[in-house]
Parts: sequence; structure tokens; C-alpha cells
Amino acid sequence: MSIDWLTVAAQLVNFMVLVWLLKRFLYRPILDGIDAREAEIAERMQVAVRAKEVAKVAEAEYRAQVSTLQSEQASATDALRHQAEQEKDTLLAEAHDRIERERKAWQTHLDEEGRTFTAKLHHAGGHALLELTRKALRDLADEPLEARIAAHLARQIGSMDAELQNAAGTPDEAVVTSHGALPKPIQDEVTAELRHRFPDIDLRFDTDQTQAHGLVLQIGGAQLAWTIDTYIDGLNDLMADQLMTATEQRA
Amino acid sequence: MTLSPDEIILFVVWGVPLNATIFHTWIVMGVLTAVSLLITRKLRPDVPPNRWRTALEVIVQGIQSQIEEITEGPSRHLLYFVGTLFLFVAVSNLMLVVPGFEPPTSSLSTTTALALSVLVAVPLFGITSRGLGGYLKTYLEPSFIMLPFNIISEFSRGISLAIRLYGNIMSGAVIAAILLTIAPFFFPVVMDLLGLLTGMIQAYIFAILATVYISSATAPKHASTT
Repeated sequence: MSIDWLTVAAQLVNFMVLVWLLKRFLYRPILDGIDAREAEIAERMQVAVRAKEVAKVAEAEYRAQVSTLQSEQASATDALRHQAEQEKDTLLAEAHDRIERERKAWQTHLDEEGRTFTAKLHHAGGHALLELTRKALRDLADEPLEARIAAHLARQIGSMDAELQNAAGTPDEAVVTSHGALPKPIQDEVTAELRHRFPDIDLRFDTDQTQAHGLVLQIGGAQLAWTIDTYIDGLNDLMADQLMTATEQRA
Repeated sequence: MTLSPDEIILFVVWGVPLNATIFHTWIVMGVLTAVSLLITRKLRPDVPPNRWRTALEVIVQGIQSQIEEITEGPSRHLLYFVGTLFLFVAVSNLMLVVPGFEPPTSSLSTTTALALSVLVAVPLFGITSRGLGGYLKTYLEPSFIMLPFNIISEFSRGISLAIRLYGNIMSGAVIAAILLTIAPFFFPVVMDLLGLLTGMIQAYIFAILATVYISSATAPKHASTT
């Protein structure tokens, strides 16, 4: 255990050199690198803090915009809903009106069809009834229908003599209207009967295809008539009664 | 058997004998410088640190944090001095396991040189910190009666530093050498492992004591430690 002072001096120098070398190549680069990195981290953190603040401001702005947009959207939705409801009401009202018009038109059409059908039925029924009556009279009494109609009209004239004269006043002309042209003997019979009641009157015989079969006498303000329509109405009433009875029995 | 590498003359350059202590010190210096240079040569702020640089940063920051715990403040100059002490002693002791390598710290001349360095560094740091008057006044504290004791204390610190490190490292090397002759297969390995542990502890103790001595001279409120 001895000390070599030359070695001690050399080691002192070596140690000083080592301090310088490590200071130059180890401590300074490492510590400067750490300081630079810490400064960079601090700078980045400051940038991040600033970015965060900017982001917060932007977030607040966006939230306000979103809130505004939501309220605008809600009001726009309400307005659109209100408009849609108004439009729906308008369309419904128009549809109801159109349906009502169509229903009325259809009802009118149906009524017209009914009237047309009824008229046709009247006409066909009257014609059939007239033909049946005419055939029955011919088969049973060997007499034409028009003669019986004229006789019936003559009886009416006779039974309503006073009333007819009061209602007719002092007429100059009488008109006998029939569906078709009357045979000459029947015209003569009607003329003779009327001249018996009104000697000075002019008598004229007309035909009207729209009139029901039968005879209509127009004297001044009075009118006497026998047409098949009265029977057709009775036939309709009878058929309606039968139909109702059948329906009730079925029920 | 030589107890000190001072006695092993390896070369004679221009008539000057070059012993193993100085030569192996140069090897340690070369290793430390080369490793530092290799790791820090491409050190740039924009390049992310690799594992070697991170390891070096951990070592340097560890030394720095130990110094800051004692001195209660950062000091780069103290880091340069104490860090170099620690690294030199630690690497010297770790290279004990290299066959043929004689740790410079097992030489009393080396430990004396290191202790002298500390002995000179203490007043230098103290004067830098307190000024010449302030530093000299510490020798009169707490009373002028303590002046001779403080001076003796100052020198005894250096001697204790030198003897402690030299004794521990030299004894480890000597014991390993003796065991190598008695039981060459197993015990030397165990003793080398123990020597590594002891070497690291001694490096830590040497550096910490140097820091404490210097900080006691620089920090006004701290009492001197023996």
C-alpha cells in the first residue's frame, strides 16, 4: 500500500481530461437535448392549450349555430305542418265538394234515368194495358176500345153537364186530343154528344204522340179526360204494394 | 503477487514507465468517451431518442436528480464533476470482470487523486458560491475554537474517501485473486459478482459523499459532514 505520486499527478490530469471529455460529449448534448425536448414539449403544450381554447370557442359557436338551426328547423317544421294541414283541409274540402257534386250529378242522372225508365214503363205499360183491354173488349164484346172511351167521355159530359158549362163559360171551340187518329164513327159520336150540349161550338180533333192513350176534351177553361195513365198509376201502386209485401214476407 | 497496479509496468515511452493504473484509466476514459460520442453524435431535437440515448438520459438524469436531492437545486458544474466521478469509478469497477483488466480504483494513487480532486473541488465550489470570505468563515463555525477541527475534518474527508474506495476495490480484487488460486472454478465467479455489486455501491458512495461535502461548503444553512 503505497502512493506513486507521479501516478497520482497523471490520474489527476486524466480525471480533469475525462471531466472535459464527458462534459463535451455526454452531459452537454444529453442535457441540451433534454432541455430542447422539454422546451418543444412545453411549446407544443402551449400550442395545444391555445388550440383547445380555439376549439372551445369554435365548439361554442357551433353549438349556438346548431341551436339556432334546430329552432329554425322546428319553426320551419311547424310552418310546414300547418301549411300541410291547411292544404289537407283544402284538398279534403275540394274532394268533398267534388264528391258531393258527383253524387248530385249521379243522383240527377239516376233521377233522370228513373224518370226516363218510369216514362218508358208508363208508355210500355200503358200500351200493353191498352192492347190487352182492346183485345179483351174485342174478344168479349166485339167492340173497339176507342168506342168505349168515347162512350165513357160522353157519359162524363152528360153527368157533369152543369159543372162543365160553368167551367167552360161560353166557348167557341172545343178540342179533342188523342194519341192516334180517331176512327170516323167515334169522331161522329163524340161530335153528336158535344153538339147536344153545346150546339154552336166548333169541334176539332187533334193527335198528340206524347199524350197517353185515351181522349182529352178541352172546352174553354174546362177539361174532361180519360187516359190510360190513371190505370198505370194504379198498376204501379199495386206493384209497389206487392213488392213491399213480398219483401216483408221474405224478411 | 502485486497489491497495486501501480507496480505493473506495461510500457516505457521515452524513458517514462507507463504502469497498468494509467493505461487502464485510459481504457476506461476511451470507453466512456467512445460510448458517449457514439450515442450523442446524431443527437438532434427533431430525431426521436433511441434506446441507447434514452438509457444515457436515464443515467444522467438519475445522477442529476440525486445531486438535486442533496443540494436542493440544479447545478450543471457539480453534475460534470460528480457525474464523472461516479461514471469513472463505476465503469472501472464494472470492468473488473474483464480478464486481465486491473481496475484503476484498486490503486491507492488513483483514489488519492480522486480524493484530492474532491479536496480541491470543495473550496472551489464553496468560494464560487459564498465568496472567499464567506467560505473561510465556515471554518470558524460554530466557534473559532473549531478552526483546527474543521481543517482536520476537511483533510480527513479526503483521506477517508481515498482509503475507503481503495480498500474496498483492492480487497475485492485481492480476495478474488486468492480464491482463484485456492478454488479456481466456482468461488472467483461469486466473488466477481460480489465485486460488481460492491464496485457499484462504492461508486455511489464516493459520488454521494463528494456531493455532500461540496454542498455543505456551498449551502450556507447546511452543517459540514464528516
